[in-house]
Amino acid sequence: MNMIEAYDLSKTYRTRVRGEGLAASARAMFRPVYREVLAVQSIDLVVPPGEIVAFIGPNGAGKSTTIKMMTGILRPNSGSIRVLGLDPVRERSNLSYHIGTVFGQKSQLWFHLPPTDSFTLLGRIYDVAPGVLKKRIAMLTERFELGALLDVPVRKMSLGQRIRCEVAASLLHEPEILFLDEPTIGLDVVVKQAIRELIRDLNQEKGTTIFLTSHDAGDVEHVCRRAIVIDHGRIVLDQPVKKLKYDYLNRKIIAVRFTEKHDLKPLPGIEVQKTGGLGSRLLVDTRIRPIGEVMSWLVGSGAVADITVEDPPMEEIITTIFSSQDEGGA
Amino acid sequence: MPANPQGQVAVPDHKRWGADRGPVLKLGKYLAIAKINLHQAIVYRSNVLGGLLFYALFIFVFFSLWRAIYHGGEVQGYSLRQVVWYLCITELLVFGCRTPVFTQMNEDIKTGALAYQLIRPCHYVAYQFAGAVGRMVFNLVCFGILAVVLGMVMVGPLPDYALTTLPLGILSACLGLVINFFLLMCLGLTAFRLEENGAFYLVYQKLVFMLGMFIPLEFLPGWLQRIARWLPFPYVAWAPARLLVAFSWPLFWQILPLQVFWAAIAIGLSLLLYRQGMRGLQANGG
Repeated sequence: MNMIEAYDLSKTYRTRVRGEGLAASARAMFRPVYREVLAVQSIDLVVPPGEIVAFIGPNGAGKSTTIKMMTGILRPNSGSIRVLGLDPVRERSNLSYHIGTVFGQKSQLWFHLPPTDSFTLLGRIYDVAPGVLKKRIAMLTERFELGALLDVPVRKMSLGQRIRCEVAASLLHEPEILFLDEPTIGLDVVVKQAIRELIRDLNQEKGTTIFLTSHDAGDVEHVCRRAIVIDHGRIVLDQPVKKLKYDYLNRKIIAVRFTEKHDLKPLPGIEVQKTGGLGSRLLVDTRIRPIGEVMSWLVGSGAVADITVEDPPMEEIITTIFSSQDEGGA
Repeated sequence: MPANPQGQVAVPDHKRWGADRGPVLKLGKYLAIAKINLHQAIVYRSNVLGGLLFYALFIFVFFSLWRAIYHGGEVQGYSLRQVVWYLCITELLVFGCRTPVFTQMNEDIKTGALAYQLIRPCHYVAYQFAGAVGRMVFNLVCFGILAVVLGMVMVGPLPDYALTTLPLGILSACLGLVINFFLLMCLGLTAFRLEENGAFYLVYQKLVFMLGMFIPLEFLPGWLQRIARWLPFPYVAWAPARLLVAFSWPLFWQILPLQVFWAAIAIGLSLLLYRQGMRGLQANGG
């Protein structure tokens, strides 16, 4: 059985339109005007067990609407959806025992209390037997290296520590599917990497299906095996990350600063986006020119003071995807 | 993934520990919620200090006022001692045990935070109530001790007080707290439909204040008393306070069924409003 099956899934919101001025407000009191917003339009989506899916797209693309339909918070207008064979809206309570959720922006931990208390409470809410819960907390504590954090109030933790606790909290009832909404938002590089490894290990060790939304190309590249790109409520791309990586995640942004005046001649595969004073911003196509080569080329061009290498932002990658789709469609 | 022929997911036994243990275990879940709220209230115990100070000040001001008004004797069946204890109790129930349920509901509904509660296997309304009970226990102890101390210092114990009726008064007080909580929850739940519902809260507060919290119902003009007795508001503060300072069996049998009635109405209405609101939410988003 597939973990998630959605066919021709659509969701339309009705929002109240507020006219300008007093007269419009008065009219709206008696005859409110509504506008329909198409949030999700006939999505087809099948996720087999053990998959790690990245669900990406710009803000307002329909990501969270889709997750809300999968978790039973929103009722679709049309189409069918089954999660673990259950109807999410009608069997929300039953389904909730089988899914875990982490929302990077919304904590499920009690802010003023140490995480142990939240873990115990969540265990009770999910009807985990006390003996089993104890063992699981011990296991997760070891796996997520929470030993030193267990009796620290959540408010005194760093964001990275908190997110580690959040992920651990969402696993207490051993969900079959884990929904992660922007799990690495605001984290520094090292912590991001640690969280990514934890998620990947979880998938490998327990076979947990992962459904992850992110703005971070790194999350997609390092964690997921399959990427689904959504925009304006439609799925525009659904392919293995390997292919996505080859097609779209092959660009790096390099910011370089020299100690003295220098002259950078553009080479094939390197585009100088900006030059000002002693610094430059380059967009490198790593298929044509691997990073190592670029580095030695830069060092050869002058005395380098500083180099940073970054992934292009998700928005840019998506723009690239759209433009290539348009070309393909035309 | 184990699935039965209907495509239903079979819940593994180790998971649904509570599945077949029925309501007792469900209660255990909500007890755990009450406990963590109590725990948090204890951790943040200094929060209660300002309230205690205000409580003491308020009682003292009204004690002085009543002392100036009373020249011995009784007013509408209340002696000075009784009226001061009355005030200590109503303030304890309404001010001391106040919960932010109205603002909480409003916020959860308007910010969409409610959605995050829905993905857990517990009922949102029960979750809120259990949490409030946890916090109330703490406040009830703190303000309760202060209330008794203030009453004892200012007017001393009530003469010939029948301690055996105390549990009945406490029962009535619990019902009063339940009515208050669920009426406020109903008002908070109107946020599903209305963008601006703050006025309800203000009006409600004033009604509870005027119809029992500030002065005994018996002090009001006859026609107003008669109307008030048909409304739920006096059963929040007046009913328990009256039973605690001047218990009588006929009054008890008159008040208690009405309290149970209003509690049932308030709970039922909360659940109804919640269910309707949820339907709207599922259809239209936050």
